[in-house]
Amino acid sequence: MLPDRWKGGAFPLAFGLLMAGLAAVPFFAGLFYQTFLTEILVWALFAISFDLIFGYVGLLSFGQALFFGLGGYAVAIPILKLGLGTGSGLLLSIAVPAAFAAFVGFFSVRLTGIHFVIITIIFALIGSTVGETWTSLTGGADGLVFMAPPLDLGVAKLDLMDIRTTYYLVLAIVALSYLFLRRMVRSPLGKVFVAIRENEERARLIGYDVRRYKLLAFVIAGGFSGLAGGLYSLSLKYASATFLHWSVSGHAVVYTIVGGAGTLVGPILGAGLIMSLEHYLVKLMQATDLAVGAVLVLTLLLAPRGIAGFLRGRRK
Amino acid sequence: MPESGNGVILTLEKVCKSFGGLMAVNYASLSVRKGELRALIGPNGAGKTTLLNLITGIHAATAGRILFKGEDIARLSPDRISRRGISRTLQITSLFSGLTVYENIWAAAQSRKRFFNPLARPERWTDVREKTGEMLELTGLADKADTVCSELSYGDQRILEMGIALSTGPELLLLDEPTAGLSTQESMALVKRMRAMLRGQTIVLVEHDMGVVMELSDRLTVLHYGEVLAEGTPAEIMANDEVRKVYLGK
Repeated sequence: MLPDRWKGGAFPLAFGLLMAGLAAVPFFAGLFYQTFLTEILVWALFAISFDLIFGYVGLLSFGQALFFGLGGYAVAIPILKLGLGTGSGLLLSIAVPAAFAAFVGFFSVRLTGIHFVIITIIFALIGSTVGETWTSLTGGADGLVFMAPPLDLGVAKLDLMDIRTTYYLVLAIVALSYLFLRRMVRSPLGKVFVAIRENEERARLIGYDVRRYKLLAFVIAGGFSGLAGGLYSLSLKYASATFLHWSVSGHAVVYTIVGGAGTLVGPILGAGLIMSLEHYLVKLMQATDLAVGAVLVLTLLLAPRGIAGFLRGRRK
Repeated sequence: MPESGNGVILTLEKVCKSFGGLMAVNYASLSVRKGELRALIGPNGAGKTTLLNLITGIHAATAGRILFKGEDIARLSPDRISRRGISRTLQITSLFSGLTVYENIWAAAQSRKRFFNPLARPERWTDVREKTGEMLELTGLADKADTVCSELSYGDQRILEMGIALSTGPELLLLDEPTAGLSTQESMALVKRMRAMLRGQTIVLVEHDMGVVMELSDRLTVLHYGEVLAEGTPAEIMANDEVRKVYLGK
């Protein structure tokens, strides 16, 4: 998880070291920190899915909470009401939100600027209203509590009621998702996304169907936001309509802006930094939001391209 | 009447465009042959840029047909028209400003691909890489390949935009006032570069600088209030009384 300019063998080495470090955590840290790290990883995945649509395509979506919340329910409801396994739940937590993203995106990507922002908020509001009122399915704001069946991987059965096992599963899925998205944003497809972000009209004039690529990015981002929601509910054994609320998207926005949009690694740094800050400050003061706000303002003033953008700028 | 067949690549048949009550283009007909450089001239507001916008699908024509290689493209979107083989530059430079020169040209060079595998490695796309390299040489921007294009001089930005437009491999290239905003010296350098870059291309050029027009174009079409006033070789146009009256002011 390093800047783009680390070419060749440096990235695999650094990534491998970091993964080894994270894999070693349960051997010296207690259950509390394992749970805390699991949570950071989940929100980091949510933030990088937002970074794909915001940092690479240039669309400020406040609707990612809808897909996050749907992902949560896509794990909880099949387990609880249909008797399905954890594996199918996780697959559904990508597929169901991606399908909704195709629907929401179909209407949204026609709009630009503030209009796009607003329509994504509206869709998330509709989602959370439906979630809160359709209590027989969703449990409303109280949510659904469930027991996660063991995940059968063929070679091993993972007991997901175990905190350490859940941590490893989340770590593996988040790492793979990161690698996939990193590869994608560097691929020719990623270059189309960035071209659209930089100049939509020019992209259209050289032959790119801008709406189609925006929709594609929106669906992919929706799928990964959903996966983050699915992992979140799997780690809590709980899903709730409050996950659907559009303000949940705000977490991803803040982590991404503080960490550096359009970098993928930035949102991970942002999630880690801000969640740790909240965790340690909560002992000192109640109003941790105030500190988060201050960090956000300072970032915007001192390093408008976020931590990762700032570090990259210094290397040039 | 516009000709068809014998090497004609673009034909406009009685094309109209009105904005509210204003007829920006009024029954304009013209045809462009393969390999020719056609200049569109006319006073401000004559409908030159609007005509280019109609050809590239930025605006939809109110009436008339636009035939490119014999097919009507008047209702197609800009990206479809680009894929059919028409490329253009804009009057106000339009680049991927936050990206490097290399990335700008690459984005255009890969644009003819149909499928973008999200896991593909760009360095393996050797054809695109070669095309990008050739265009860097052709534009003379190879030594600035890693420069973020918003940091280029204005003249270089104009050349880069032409390089982007050319990298899609167009059969017809539309240039909208390439020398606008350039000093005389920069204009001369640009024209020199254009001669090298655009050899053999079919081009429609909108340009105010009559020196540039006379030097580059094979034929001229004069627009006036959205209508085609005259068409001919540079010498014929210079000798045309009506043109002198409305446009050259003599």
